[in-house]
Amino acid sequence: MPDYGHDLLFGTFVTPSASPAHHAVDLAVAADRAGLDLVTFQDHPYQPRFHDTWTLMSYVASRTERIRLSGNVLSLPLRQPAVLARSAASLDLLSGGRVELGLGAGAFWDAIDAMGGRRLSPAQAVVALEEAIAIMRQIWAADQPGGVHVKGDYYAADGAKRGPAPAHDIGVWIGAYKPKMLALTGKTADGWLPSLPYLPGGPAVLGDLNERIDEAAASAGRSPSDIRRLLNINGRFGDTSTSLLNGPPDQWAEELAGLTLEHGITGFVLATDDEYTTELFAAEVAPATRELVAAERRG
Amino acid sequence: MHYGHALTFGTFLTPTATEPARVVSLATRSEELGFDLVSIQDHPYQPAHLDAWTLLTWLAGRTRRVTLAPNVLNLPLRDPAVLAGAASSLDRLSGGRLALALGAGAFWKAIGAMGGRTLSPGESVTALSEAIDIIRASWDVGDERPIRLNGEHYRVDGAARGPEPAHDVPLWLGAYKPRMLRLLGAKGDGWVVTHQLLRPGQLAEGNKLIDEAAVAAGRDPREIRRLLNVSGDFLGGPGEAWVDALLPLVVEDGVGTFILATDDTATLERFAGEVAPALREAVDRELPGTSLPPLRRAAVRARRREGIAYDDVPAALADAAIEPGDVGYAGVRSTYLRGGAPGLVLRPRTEEEVAEALAFARAHPRLPLSLRSGGHGISGRSTNDGGIVIDVSRLNSIEVVDPARRRVHIGPGARWADVAAALAPHGLALTSGDYGGVGVGGLATAGGLGFLAREHGLTIDHLRAVRMVLADGSVVRASDDENPELFWAVRGAGANFGVVTSFEFEADEVGDVGWARLVFDASDTAGLLHRWGATQEAAPRDVTSFLLVGPPRRGRPPVAHLMAMVDSADPETVLDRLRPFAEIGPLHDQSVVLTSYASVMANASPEAHNGHGEPVTRSAFAEHITPEFAADAERLLRSGAVYFFQIRAVGGAVADVPPDATAYAHRSANFSVTTFGVDRRRVDAEWDRLAGHLDGLYLSFETDPRPERLADAFPPATLRRLRELKATYDPGNVFRDNFNVTPERRSH
Repeated sequence: MPDYGHDLLFGTFVTPSASPAHHAVDLAVAADRAGLDLVTFQDHPYQPRFHDTWTLMSYVASRTERIRLSGNVLSLPLRQPAVLARSAASLDLLSGGRVELGLGAGAFWDAIDAMGGRRLSPAQAVVALEEAIAIMRQIWAADQPGGVHVKGDYYAADGAKRGPAPAHDIGVWIGAYKPKMLALTGKTADGWLPSLPYLPGGPAVLGDLNERIDEAAASAGRSPSDIRRLLNINGRFGDTSTSLLNGPPDQWAEELAGLTLEHGITGFVLATDDEYTTELFAAEVAPATRELVAAERRG
Repeated sequence: MHYGHALTFGTFLTPTATEPARVVSLATRSEELGFDLVSIQDHPYQPAHLDAWTLLTWLAGRTRRVTLAPNVLNLPLRDPAVLAGAASSLDRLSGGRLALALGAGAFWKAIGAMGGRTLSPGESVTALSEAIDIIRASWDVGDERPIRLNGEHYRVDGAARGPEPAHDVPLWLGAYKPRMLRLLGAKGDGWVVTHQLLRPGQLAEGNKLIDEAAVAAGRDPREIRRLLNVSGDFLGGPGEAWVDALLPLVVEDGVGTFILATDDTATLERFAGEVAPALREAVDRELPGTSLPPLRRAAVRARRREGIAYDDVPAALADAAIEPGDVGYAGVRSTYLRGGAPGLVLRPRTEEEVAEALAFARAHPRLPLSLRSGGHGISGRSTNDGGIVIDVSRLNSIEVVDPARRRVHIGPGARWADVAAALAPHGLALTSGDYGGVGVGGLATAGGLGFLAREHGLTIDHLRAVRMVLADGSVVRASDDENPELFWAVRGAGANFGVVTSFEFEADEVGDVGWARLVFDASDTAGLLHRWGATQEAAPRDVTSFLLVGPPRRGRPPVAHLMAMVDSADPETVLDRLRPFAEIGPLHDQSVVLTSYASVMANASPEAHNGHGEPVTRSAFAEHITPEFAADAERLLRSGAVYFFQIRAVGGAVADVPPDATAYAHRSANFSVTTFGVDRRRVDAEWDRLAGHLDGLYLSFETDPRPERLADAFPPATLRRLRELKATYDPGNVFRDNFNVTPERRSH
């Protein structure tokens, strides 16, 4: 099975370098011009070499036309969920519905703690993430009656007003690897956003991880296709094929199409800070992958 | 009561969520109308509003000139350490256009419903004070220690500082009650209040409290701007009535900024057209000449160095001058290879400003004076401790004035990577050094030993004229026809004679080039050096190579890196030229590409310089790499005294120029040898043993302070001529903070 049937998204994962100040912006603009679907940024508020990711995303949104934006992924522990929900809705309204919300439960707890953030165990952080998502979804559901009420162990909202409603249904995408996070992804997320280099055993383990998400989705009464599977990828273009995503664009297209058809991956986010690579990915890999997938899906 | 602030005007817009395009268009209209500031209220618990931070950032992308400020930002729902980083990002992205106006919080019930912490008014003032300390500490990247601030309400324990904002972001506070006003006087840069919320006399009372608190904190009350939100329907009636109403607020209450709260375009237009200019005129009439240049905060002034007349910096230079407490100081204090702590960095933009900067520096004769173009100088110091730096990096124009004659005018602050990129579209290149981050000014007054040297000569051999500011502040042009003696001296010892403000070069036609990087096992270091030298000398002029040999590393054989450029776009020629080089030793790795000179030069990091200490280097020229020299060089590398050893091929076209044609006299040498070490005495002791193989030195790369090095740099006739010229052009030795040629003493 699993090809969950979503249309394909292609994007980049750009280092949010603070210096030079516009480096990341220029790369995002290049991705937009090249016709990619998505530009994403990692979020490490304790890393002074990086821009604040939300501020960078807001600025990039105002300098681009079509491309969608997401954190990849936003570090929840240093962001207030109710404020983040309104910020996301605001940017979605300003950008005409181009914002998706990639979220992580948090890592680098020493650095979070040094910034004045709360230190949680991994298990606690999963619960906190679930509570935060509940708050955010209630804020976005502006047409529902009553205030926002979530009485969590780590986050609470007690009668906060709902709204503003975003311009489109903002996707909550979760960076998940471990069973609890995968279960949460299946239970509540709109997308799964792991990184290929962090998968022990490479693409082969995608099947198992997908299954865990699918099971959790089923127990929550959801369909596995409610969760888009995205993947951060690394690679290099070259004349000759040396390994996975190391070779010419047509090799990439075949490999990515394989990941779609075998493992249901329908969002490919390439880590690159190079304009030429961005353009090649958009111009040669994306259309060829789409064609291969479409041909196969037509059967 | 007046605080000397130039009058500015802003708008205060409602961030209505249902009409996002409307607030954006009001903001861009504000900018078009000439307002100085666009401000947005922040009530994160108010679902009818867009998030203020997100909106301000969006507006930064849609405006170019206006300052952007929250009015005011609700602190309780924002984490101060994260906010500091976000503010730096917004300031950097917007090109220094953020003013961070903060409020202690209000509407605590709504804050609590959002999951925020509820504080009493007194606690919230303390929390704000702690937040200000965290934010300022986060921006203070000059302090390398992690932030440790443990307050009652906020705790930061070991967080890294930075990123640094693009400018000294003013911290404004919304304040009404005495505790807040006192905090503002102690720590704030601006007072933001809303006119309608004040009772008569409250501005004066507030000013008094603020001023007293400022003085008590060792500050000058003029550091604090007074900003007043006024409603768009503040007054009906004609523009004059507004002026009459607002004027006393400036004259009597010291208001420096009016922020007009309206969402009505017609009101914005009327205010900008009728009220603002008339009010400015009326203020100029009532308070002639009281507007002062911006005053640095007391905390910034406290870091000033002794003996510099900071208040006398010429007005044209004041805006861009950087002193030790300023934002940006960490990025300009040091150079690529050298740590520094100058008392003042002046950054002129024009030749006139260079002359003004020089006059200012000459008024401080006891202080060190450093000249900086790209900040890569080794002997050219370009930073100091407690002195003045004239940094010409903003004189960085690159102009191809006559493509047919290949004439190019370049400012001293341009970097060679940018020069190469600008010339490439014309099919031109100028040989430079091996690193694109190096500035034009230092290299083009010393020599310029680059990858096209054997084919096209030194960088200075392409120089046709310079314009320069001399020690006495006069501006001259020097060429073969005008001031020819000075022109002779500039080409090899230029830093001793003045500040070149424009170089006129004749570039070469250079198409694609072959570019090779070969890595060798250098176990047989001496053999490799000798074979490389012989191969390079036997090669045609179109190939120039540099060899970098590392010292032996623990348990592993030493490695040599060869970088070679072939000035040919023909792959066969490129491979022909490189083949003999590939045979000089066991190859570990190789890459050969056809590329442009510009892409080879595009190798510079954009990071600010962060050098520490002093470079310890030696330099010399060699005619040949004899087996004896090669053996002694291997001994040097094995001594452990040096960590960097590079030989650059010269000769070829370099040797076509007679030795007395320029102050750079070492024309017959085929090789330039440079080493870097850590311990001055050890490096000198080991290097001095090589003396028999070597002759002369390249002044750019030499840091041995012993006086006999001067005679190595210049043969006797050259040195005599230079010292006479120095006595004419710089008798007081103003330009001494480099490889210094002391002036000939003249008897009267």
